[in-house]
Amino acid sequence: MAPDQTTAAPVPLLSVRDLHVRFPTERGTVNAVNGVSFDLYEGKTLAIVGESGSGKSVTAKTLMNLLPRSALVSGDVTYAGQDVRALAAAGTKHFFGVQMTMVFQDPMTSLNPVKRVGEQIAETLRYHLGRSRSAALEEAEDLLDAVGMPEPARRVMQYPHELSGGLRQRVVIAMALACQPRLLIADEPTTAVDVTVQKHLLDLLDELRRDRGMAMILITHDLGVAHGRADDVAVMYAGRIVETADARTLFVDMRHPYTEALLRSIPRIDDPVHHRLDPIPGRPPELISPPDACAFAPRCLYAQADCLDGVPELSGLVGLHRFACLHPTGTERGVAAATANRAAGVTVAGLPLTGDPGGAG
Amino acid sequence: MARFFIRRLVLLVAVLFAVTFLGFSAMNFLGDPLFNVVGLMAELDCEAIEAGSAEDPSLDRARSDCETVAEARATYHLDRPVPVRYLLWVGDMFTGDFGTSFQNDQPVAEIIREKLPETLILLIMAQIVSLGVAIPWGVVAAYRANRAFDRGSTVASFGLLSIPNFALGVVLLYLLSLRWQIFPSAYESDSVVGLVFSMVLPAATLGLPLAASYQRLLRTDLITTLQEDFVHMARAKGLPPMRIMFRHALRPSLFSVVTVFGVSTGAMIGGSLVVEQIFGIPGIGREIVTAVVRDDFPVVLAIVMLVACTFVIINFVVDLFYSWLDPRVRAR
Repeated sequence: MAPDQTTAAPVPLLSVRDLHVRFPTERGTVNAVNGVSFDLYEGKTLAIVGESGSGKSVTAKTLMNLLPRSALVSGDVTYAGQDVRALAAAGTKHFFGVQMTMVFQDPMTSLNPVKRVGEQIAETLRYHLGRSRSAALEEAEDLLDAVGMPEPARRVMQYPHELSGGLRQRVVIAMALACQPRLLIADEPTTAVDVTVQKHLLDLLDELRRDRGMAMILITHDLGVAHGRADDVAVMYAGRIVETADARTLFVDMRHPYTEALLRSIPRIDDPVHHRLDPIPGRPPELISPPDACAFAPRCLYAQADCLDGVPELSGLVGLHRFACLHPTGTERGVAAATANRAAGVTVAGLPLTGDPGGAG
Repeated sequence: MARFFIRRLVLLVAVLFAVTFLGFSAMNFLGDPLFNVVGLMAELDCEAIEAGSAEDPSLDRARSDCETVAEARATYHLDRPVPVRYLLWVGDMFTGDFGTSFQNDQPVAEIIREKLPETLILLIMAQIVSLGVAIPWGVVAAYRANRAFDRGSTVASFGLLSIPNFALGVVLLYLLSLRWQIFPSAYESDSVVGLVFSMVLPAATLGLPLAASYQRLLRTDLITTLQEDFVHMARAKGLPPMRIMFRHALRPSLFSVVTVFGVSTGAMIGGSLVVEQIFGIPGIGREIVTAVVRDDFPVVLAIVMLVACTFVIINFVVDLFYSWLDPRVRAR
């Protein structure tokens, strides 16, 4: 029985397989997440990147069992060998908040407006770890200090409305870290705060993650946020992962046209002044009765006839560089597709190509 | 905070003046108060009688009546115009003199001291019943919103809201007192326990319809609050559902209930007229009915003022309560 630690394949901390989430609505069923799979190892950071409506936040909420009761979920979520959905259904105590926890997007609304911030942090310690009121409040103060809150002793007695957005998000982070979770899900943790504070908070999260050996899922619409902070990146579109790889590969050698388009749409420090950004044409697709085709095809510069013929599968095995594209950028097929479309002036899906469509690799 | 108090105090005084002045004028214009004091003697043409022959013995009786009338006029200042009488009445009140009842010369202050405790106990118990029923009811309905229990609650609460007080009172009386004999059917004042026990049915009669409206409000607000991010955050912290409900969601969801609590006090005093009648409780409600019927206007005015005062003070307390409910109110 003695496991050989040196040769045993590492077991992922969190493993998600074929996750589907659907919401029945009056207009029809919304297919929010369509077969998402990924692994996350202890101490690593996975960035999930996508536009609004791509299913990234729904994925996070599914992991944390925060979906409304009406949501239909299928697939496996395994945390350290335990079935998370079964744990949630059984109402297991001291799992969420202790093993895995979450930081939300908007610090203005994710703190209870009628409770002092110290109390809100202490509450977790008292419930999960059985601390006394005074011990928990002292620990709350230490936690606030650890997240770089100035004057923590005074802050514990303040109400959320007395703090700025950046400070509130520090409170939220302190709250999430209180019970030393092994996995932190950060859902757009800096989208709602001032740009000047964003980098501070992201660096803080990164530093705390490293110090505590915590794994993190960083959800963002901004590939730039993922850059330099994530070990792996998964790009989501219309409820599916369309490309996933280790961060280096993804940024340097991406294959999916959507990933490429996302990168082109963010400003870079080494761009020339007054450089025009390339927005992605069109809008994200409907998630009610989506067509049986590549969901990105209508907005894709590479779209060919076969793109409209069935949803492309994600290539390869979990853990490798995978992408769901028939004409991947940076390959011969991709170059051929782009050249053909440019010659025709319009893609097969009807997207007109005007002037400079942005080079094809 | 001090400014808040002062502003409220000014408002209280203004409301009291307005209410009492309106009440005072109404009572005076509705009937000649003199008639209420001296009865038919008020109809005597005293000037003609005075002008008649002093020797005429047939007028002696009438003359003495006229003296009584003149005396009453003087006592109640009825020879002065209404606004002056109002000011005199207010002045008396500041010295603790609320006047005397026209019916039995009992000081009004004494009547109120006697009858007020009964009504206060009734109203307080009614609010306890309504909140005690409505909060758990609203919490469970919101927790399982749109499920069987919640749908059943909607029907039940509309049912309770549409039953008139007297009908609900009679039904409760019949079922819980006559049929199953759990509660006494009539007012008892032998002991505190007996008094409280005999007030349960009247309090339920007053409180249950109110519980229904509280429940509707609380349910709706809770459902909204439960979708707030901070509730998701509390769930992500791993807190159990009922703890989240009572520690996080309930307090920010109480605003509507508290507002209606303040406003409903007036309606409750109205309801207590009927309920005191049905259950034979010798309270303010019964007193004001008798006083209005008999045009006993010192009593009516004193009670009107008392009710207005209570109403304004309760709403003042409600405003203070808001700032406890939500610390952001304090900052404004």
